[in-house]
Amino acid sequence: MPKLIIDQRSIEVPAGTKVIAAAEKLGIMIPRFCYHPGLGSFGACRMCAVKFLEGPVKGIEMSCMEDARDGMVVSTTDPEAMEFRQYVIEWLMMHHPLDCPVCDEGGHCLLQDETVSGGHGRRRYLGHKRTYHDQYLGVFVQHEMNRCIHCWRCRNFYQGFAGYRDYGAMQIGNRMYFGRYEDGPLESPFAGNIIDLCPTGVLTDKPCRFVGRRWDFERAPSLCLHCSLGCNTTGSARYRQMWRQEGRFNEMVNGYFICDRGRYGFAYESHPERPRRARVAGLEVAWAEAIQTAAEKLSQIAATAGPAAVACLGSARSSLETQATLQRFCRALGWSEPRYFSVPSQERQVKAAIARLEAPLAVSLREIETADFVLVVGADPVNEAPMLALALRQAWLKGGAVAVLDPRPVFLPFEFEHLPLAPGDLEAALEALTAGAGGTDLLAGGSPWPLLPKIAALGRRLTQTQRPVIVCGTGIVRESTPGLAADLVLRLREAGLNAGLFYLLPGANAFGAGLLSPAGEGLTPLMEDLETGAVKALMVVENDPFWDYPDRGRLVRALDKLELLVALDYLPSPTVQRADIVFPTLTLFERNHSSFVNQEGRLQLAPPVHLGGMPMAQISPEKHPPRTFLSHIPGGEPRTPGEILAELAAAMPAPVTLPGDDLWDWLSRKNPVFANIVSLFESPPGARLIPEAVPAGTFSPAAAPAAAERPPDYLELLLVDLIFGTEELASYSKHIQPAEEPPRLRMHPADAAKLRLSSGDRVALRLLGGTLEVDLQVAENMAPGVLVLPRHRQLNWRLAPDYRVMVAYGDIVKVEA
Amino acid sequence: MFEEVLFKNRRPDRPATLDEYRQSGGYEALIEAVKQRTPDEVRQLVTDSGLRGRGGAGFPTGRKWGFIPADAGFPRYVVPNTDEMEPGTFKDRVLVNIDPHLVIEGIILSGYAVRAQTGFFFIRPSYELDAQLIEREVEVARQAGFLGNNILGSEFSFELVVHRSAGRYICGEATAQVNAIQGNRAHPMKDRHMASDGLWHRPTIVNNAETLACVPHILRQGAEWFKGLARTKTGAGTKLYCVSGKVNQPGCYELPIGTPLREIIEGSAGGMMPGSELKAVMPGGASTAYMPAKYYDVEMDFDPLKAVGHRLGTAAIMVFDQNTCLVAATLNLMEYFARESCGYCTPCREGLPYIRDLLWRIEAGEGREEFIPMLQQMARHMDSSYCAFAPGAAESVLGLLKYFLDEIREHISQKKCPFAEAYRPHRKLWYPAE
Amino acid sequence: MQAEIAVAEHPREQAINIMYAVQGHYGYLPDEGLLEAAELLDLTPLELEELATFYDFIYRRPVGKYVIHVCDGVVCWMFHENSVFEYLCQKLGVCAGEISADGLFTVLPTACIGFCDHAPAMLVNGRLYGPLTPLLIDEILEKLKTEYCDLVVCK
Ligand SMILES: Cc1cc2nc3c(=O)[nH]c(=O)nc-3n(C[C@H](O)[C@H](O)[C@H](O)COP(=O)(O)O)c2cc1C
Ligand code: SF4
Ligand code: FES
Repeated sequence: MPKLIIDQRSIEVPAGTKVIAAAEKLGIMIPRFCYHPGLGSFGACRMCAVKFLEGPVKGIEMSCMEDARDGMVVSTTDPEAMEFRQYVIEWLMMHHPLDCPVCDEGGHCLLQDETVSGGHGRRRYLGHKRTYHDQYLGVFVQHEMNRCIHCWRCRNFYQGFAGYRDYGAMQIGNRMYFGRYEDGPLESPFAGNIIDLCPTGVLTDKPCRFVGRRWDFERAPSLCLHCSLGCNTTGSARYRQMWRQEGRFNEMVNGYFICDRGRYGFAYESHPERPRRARVAGLEVAWAEAIQTAAEKLSQIAATAGPAAVACLGSARSSLETQATLQRFCRALGWSEPRYFSVPSQERQVKAAIARLEAPLAVSLREIETADFVLVVGADPVNEAPMLALALRQAWLKGGAVAVLDPRPVFLPFEFEHLPLAPGDLEAALEALTAGAGGTDLLAGGSPWPLLPKIAALGRRLTQTQRPVIVCGTGIVRESTPGLAADLVLRLREAGLNAGLFYLLPGANAFGAGLLSPAGEGLTPLMEDLETGAVKALMVVENDPFWDYPDRGRLVRALDKLELLVALDYLPSPTVQRADIVFPTLTLFERNHSSFVNQEGRLQLAPPVHLGGMPMAQISPEKHPPRTFLSHIPGGEPRTPGEILAELAAAMPAPVTLPGDDLWDWLSRKNPVFANIVSLFESPPGARLIPEAVPAGTFSPAAAPAAAERPPDYLELLLVDLIFGTEELASYSKHIQPAEEPPRLRMHPADAAKLRLSSGDRVALRLLGGTLEVDLQVAENMAPGVLVLPRHRQLNWRLAPDYRVMVAYGDIVKVEA
Repeated sequence: MFEEVLFKNRRPDRPATLDEYRQSGGYEALIEAVKQRTPDEVRQLVTDSGLRGRGGAGFPTGRKWGFIPADAGFPRYVVPNTDEMEPGTFKDRVLVNIDPHLVIEGIILSGYAVRAQTGFFFIRPSYELDAQLIEREVEVARQAGFLGNNILGSEFSFELVVHRSAGRYICGEATAQVNAIQGNRAHPMKDRHMASDGLWHRPTIVNNAETLACVPHILRQGAEWFKGLARTKTGAGTKLYCVSGKVNQPGCYELPIGTPLREIIEGSAGGMMPGSELKAVMPGGASTAYMPAKYYDVEMDFDPLKAVGHRLGTAAIMVFDQNTCLVAATLNLMEYFARESCGYCTPCREGLPYIRDLLWRIEAGEGREEFIPMLQQMARHMDSSYCAFAPGAAESVLGLLKYFLDEIREHISQKKCPFAEAYRPHRKLWYPAE
Repeated sequence: MQAEIAVAEHPREQAINIMYAVQGHYGYLPDEGLLEAAELLDLTPLELEELATFYDFIYRRPVGKYVIHVCDGVVCWMFHENSVFEYLCQKLGVCAGEISADGLFTVLPTACIGFCDHAPAMLVNGRLYGPLTPLLIDEILEKLKTEYCDLVVCK
């Protein structure tokens, strides 16, 4: 641990720490433009010059380029260094326009800050300013090239950190241009980060253009709910509306960055049709009336048909508070346990994964970056958990290898090995790898499986590593796959490797939902209860079965049988639209604190960004400021599900009180895992809700039953995620919608050849519930025998009895134009 | 009379052929080396000879080779640097055109010494004919068994590839050159050690072509002989001096290193042009400072020049006479450097154009006294840029300020360039629009 | 070309050669050629453009059959102070970078071409000319206009 002195104060830092970072630990912010702790040192802007007075380095040097070393004495205020830094600012300002008043970066602009603090207040350069043409970079990023100070951060992130190849630096010298080859949307779904990184107003947030200065916004730390990773964000709201999200540092989760889905998915919050008032039978009514009606009807059904006739459906996107209160509510009223998933296979997968995620095995997203081998099984990182793709890239940049076993045409922004295996084969592959790691010679038996040699080779490489991580998805895999992935990790650990396990789950709080779901097989699937008429009233809390239930026809028939449908939600979902009683709820950003458990069991807290209410723009777009004065917040009726449930409980004929302040105690009495909850002040990166001590490795009981083989002349339909267009919340975001790619069905060339289809063909897919038309794309890099169809907003894909269906060749036909 | 070493096969009209080269003892060093010497012995000999790099920085060649870590893996690369974009410098062109095989043998030997497999002969586009010449002669050398697999029946295999540049001064900088060869933008990489982490992250040694041409001679005739060639105590070998500017016989001359400037100009270069008086020289290309006439007797070697605050650089001596306006000359240099800057770091990218602007104003009669400290400070601060490009570029400005401040002041006070139009029939300012 | 790339251990190393080849075919590097070259090299158009626009001898705009690179190095400057450049432009009726009416010439200033011992100098078509006088320039232009000469351009 080198010890050095900076500005007369001494500090000891871990070896490899740069002087600029060491100074930061002392609270000394050395000016910088190109250096960013998430990207590293480049030595390009020369802004961080300091004087090294004593020690191994002497004179003016860049503090971002020098490792802290013993004996260094550094002055950040040395006159020579200050004079140099003043010149750097002057040079950078030679061409920078003085358009701060109309620039969106004004007020949180690093260049502005450092120009002011560096004392460069008078322009001495007498020459002209250089000008550029700007480019259209898509719907997210606004380009204003004249403001560029050539710090390289954007390119260093875009090409270096993220690995995308359509944005960079052209020309040379002071004519350099940062942009694309030609106008067009940035291809990287991580492009939004260059907005945060750009130290001035070249790259700004397009949806938030001209909305306000940094100090005009209400800002608070927040979380991303658009996948299970739980990246940290900072939300900005103004005029009762969210406008912007930025990446927020979390050393265990997302680091500094987020994906564009996380950045721009928030606009569901200000969806014009968002439910704002309580409704009964489609009519807006007073809140108390709705509570009264709901309490009466629910209790009446429970009284006449028995408590089991009332069912509650929570969700994987609700906060832990909501999920837990729902459970408490049901128990308090003596109803049956709430369910959290409308698709039973999803529930089973999530529970299987959680059950196997023992504390010693779980790795965080950040720890993946230090893995020397990552095996991704049944997951498509960019589309299912985007930031995972960047973490994998960092591992690869550090020399680690990445192999993906997945039937889809998986793309990752770096070199990796892809074995396109059908979902059934994934299990066989995992079993083989586990056997191999246990010492079995896989090739000895002369198995007829043609892929076995490749898997055996992979297994040999795997066992030669030290810190491998197995990433296992829960989207397209079989229910038993997560367990097999855990088995492999345990076997690798037995073999002495420091192996880690990383699951992906369906939903921002799927982990919480899984923890709260009843153990074992749980309840009869909700749909069966609805069909048999066993359930007569259904209360849906922040869930929309219309979104993810695979069989729309069956769902509608089942819901038709209900006597009462109560919906609590902030989305204008089809469920809300057909509900008899609707209670509008608050989003994550509004008024209340909410907690979410990400896929590695990390509990994170999101405080509110603003108080909620109807966006100003929606109330009086043409007459702002408003001409009528109210004592309440217009559109401020929505409450948290917890509050609504408490009101309902209190309004029941036999009233029950649900105290709001002892939820964690109540939870931890039920399940000791919740005793781990600590305040975020104690642990800023969040706390893990995984049982700490688990008896040493439990393997799945027996080898999972061999996956049912695909009948000949059938293809397995996989319903998959895309980064834009399939995730529920983001699909309601007006910012994300224009970035969606049109949905396409993908198929292996061998299958396409058999069906005489080719890329661009319009195909009709006959499924049980009806026929779906979609454009075909033939993809080399995927498994034969499968059809890959995105669960796209623009597609009516909900025509199948389950997520896993086989489609006969005859049911895939070309549609003639 | 001094006998030329590198230029001994000089012919008036054409390069020496392989046979001619061999008759002069060519490739003997290589034959001997692969048969009888270990790579370490070759490197030791070069170290002992005191050979210092001829590319501008004067780094001891043997020591540089020794930086490759003992346990470094393979492949390894050598990069003979024939970019030669330093204004005033043309020695590598002349050398290649006199004796291509001398350069080729030097390259192969350097490859042998560091146990490299491939050399990338990096050459600028204005030397396209020379690139073609080298390509041809590389083929000839291959036919003769000096290149390719198992050279002369030994274990040593080596390939030489001609890598064409598309022309930028910064490509001459060793680490930028490595980027350029890899097909990246030619930005320097100061945070990487080429000797262990160069081309494609493999050990890589970049040497100037002239440096390498000395190696066969050192091997054949010994380290002591090489040292003895010098006219200075600390120097070693001969040096190719390019003399240009206001002299009677501009050209590239091989002389013992350390030959005094006066002898070079008055001897080889035939003295000053009629009517011209020596005002200043740039001793080592455009990235060295003006050296006024008072240093006429300085020995042209690394150490003696350093002792008087100057640099040998590429030993490209550019001679300025009393009729040349040095403010305008410096402006010309700044135009060049500002245009060639790779743009990576701020001082170079923005500071050089700023200096250019101030000089232009001074030259155009718009100068102000306060420009002088600004020039001074900015030029000094170029030292804190990312690579050696900007410090080199600033040298002419610093030299101008140090020795010819009066000339600047005259511009400012007269509000015009004091150099009479009469002396300068072509004089006309041309300044590109921003 | 494809073969060259295929054998190259590091295809990107061939980037400049490929750009020269495409330039040899079109006379300059048009968008169309850049896209082809990028595809051959397995680079994105942006990645190749990052290189193409970095260098002096890759022409992204149309140029005449002969590109006259006038040395503006300080030694040449000492002798002509840009008047060679101006003389050529005037003679050919072009500004820097333009194509002369007959489609034959483009004049560009360029970094020292290493012909300082023959200053002032210029580079046309891979060949170095100097020391230049107006008379010599006239002769050279005449010769280039009338006589066939094989183009020496970087391969
Ligand atoms: C801006 C810049 C340009 C350079 N150009 C050249 C060049 O054209 N030729 C050359 O041999 N060295 C050039 N060098 C020096 C090289 O970086 C490197 O030191 C040299 O090639 C090493 O060879 P040597 O040790 O044989 O001198 C340049 C250096 C700088 C900073
Ligand atoms: S666009 Fe922004 S991030 Fe990129 S180089 Fe310019 S100032 Fe830096
Ligand atoms: S922050 Fe150190 S050089 Fe830019």
